[in-house]
Amino acid sequence: MIRPEDHNERPPTVNTESYGPSSASESSGLVGERITITADGTLLIDNIDCTVARGSLSALVGPNGAGKSTLLRALTAVKLPASGTVHFDGEDLLGMPRRQRARLAAFVEQDAATDSALTVEMVVKLGRLPHQSLWEADSPESAAVVTASLDTVEMGAFREREFQSLSGGEKQRVMLARALAQQPQLLTLDEPTNHLDIAAQLSVLELLDHLRTTGVTVLAALHDLSLAASYCDHIIVLSHGRVVAAGTTEAVLTEALIADVYGVRASILRNPVTGKPVIGFSPV
Amino acid sequence: MAKVSPVALGAALAIALLVSITIAVTIGPADIRFDEVWRSIGSHLGIGVSPLTELRDGIVWQLRLPRVLTAGAVGAGLALSGAVMQAITRNPLADPYLLGLSSGAALGAVSVLLLGAAVLLPLAAFVGALLALTLTLLLAGSLGAITPSRTVLAGIAVSALASAITSFVIFWSVTGDSYREVLSWLLGSLSGARWPAVAITMAAIIVVGVPVMLTGRLLDSFAFGDVQAASLGVNVSATRWGLLAATALVTGAMVSVSGSIGFVGLILPHAVRLLVGPGHRALLPLSALLGAVFLVWADTLARTIFDPREIPVGIVTAMIGAPIFAFLLTRRKSST
Repeated sequence: MIRPEDHNERPPTVNTESYGPSSASESSGLVGERITITADGTLLIDNIDCTVARGSLSALVGPNGAGKSTLLRALTAVKLPASGTVHFDGEDLLGMPRRQRARLAAFVEQDAATDSALTVEMVVKLGRLPHQSLWEADSPESAAVVTASLDTVEMGAFREREFQSLSGGEKQRVMLARALAQQPQLLTLDEPTNHLDIAAQLSVLELLDHLRTTGVTVLAALHDLSLAASYCDHIIVLSHGRVVAAGTTEAVLTEALIADVYGVRASILRNPVTGKPVIGFSPV
Repeated sequence: MAKVSPVALGAALAIALLVSITIAVTIGPADIRFDEVWRSIGSHLGIGVSPLTELRDGIVWQLRLPRVLTAGAVGAGLALSGAVMQAITRNPLADPYLLGLSSGAALGAVSVLLLGAAVLLPLAAFVGALLALTLTLLLAGSLGAITPSRTVLAGIAVSALASAITSFVIFWSVTGDSYREVLSWLLGSLSGARWPAVAITMAAIIVVGVPVMLTGRLLDSFAFGDVQAASLGVNVSATRWGLLAATALVTGAMVSVSGSIGFVGLILPHAVRLLVGPGHRALLPLSALLGAVFLVWADTLARTIFDPREIPVGIVTAMIGAPIFAFLLTRRKSST
């Protein structure tokens, strides 16, 4: 594998106006600075900065083991980083109370599964947890948010169905509705298209695209570079726990960068229908 | 899928509990009628005069009523503990008995009894339960990822060890009828339950059990695991350890008066789930109520079925619970 030195150095090779702010508290959107994450003495994320512009749909890409899941969990404070700061619209995400954070930022984990016989409605209601005290009854407002969230993902007809009985794509839409019920301004997702058939993958991305138009800032870890290129404004490329490139999709996803990060030959083509980039791969 | 309304089921169970308690008090060698039970109880609460002779009144107030009330409280506490443990360990097979808490609590209780420090009984049972739980989770963790089957295996090992030490301690220090003593701690028995037992178990239900019942929403958030619970704003480790300590406390209090009664914590939450679904705001209080009704009847069976001989109530609960446990195991296998 060819790994030119310049890709490992910071600042990254590609940069845009949304990247590398000097003052996190004045920037809008998601700003992570000097984030370092270790687990059992191993360095997983090595002192990185990353930015997701407010109201954008951004992708976090990189090979397996690059640290995508780890970084996403740190950015939403599900697992606190060893060091570093994360701000959203100037607010300190890592320092704020848990419930307040859960009203601001929602996280959809990879392949969420349960043994419990929860119905679709009960799963979506979980998203109301940060808005409710432990024993108060569900308010009409809360019920309306749950219904609206289900409608947004077009799962309203499945309300009473058992979550476990759904297909992978339907489950993912329900998990999205659960996240929406938190009424977040920031939504992060870990491999939301994992194990889904192509139609379901597109439907998830279409939904994320729709959410962006409602003002939600979306960051999704994705494996499929063509999907990322088709739908996302910005791309952050992670490799070996470092950001090797970040910026607009057109600027970041180059054949040279893909070859370098993934160790394969890449050919950037055009989708004849959408005009968006499609990436073909071949061995080096 | 039609489910029963939780409120309706709760009301039905509350009435069933009152009726069960009254009927259970009427049952036994001395024949005492339904209305006589209530009037006797009334007279002790300062309402009216007991219709019963002093001896028969004593049977109601000194023997049967405290025993039946203790059975109800123990059943409620064990079923509640089981429901909570199943939620926070995401393990449908979790139960104070299978995970070794009950045996640990019995060991703690027996140890202080033989040291002559009966005042410390509930505390010692709590410490025993907590130590056994910690040991079980450490052992399960050392086998790899903490899976339901590994936790049960570890619980069996811890439980066997604690039971062996309990038996040894009793044989070492008690003379005469020690077999009976050993059996009542290992299998669980309510034959010695009087008013102090009612006080201990009811206090545990009110002081610890009721606050735990209010955590249903938090437990729901664990359905998809720790990461999702954390992303919903739940303090995962504080919630988990706080609730595990609370269940150890409740289990300890129950075991200190009853010995280790098996399967109540395992099967009753499953039964309630079948009726009202998996939401914990309904599941916790309903499990407690059904557990109370169940153990009142199990104990009534235990003291009457081979009248005049009495068998430990744990035999009755195991006879009913073990086949259901086996069924749950096979269902689990086919679903994974």
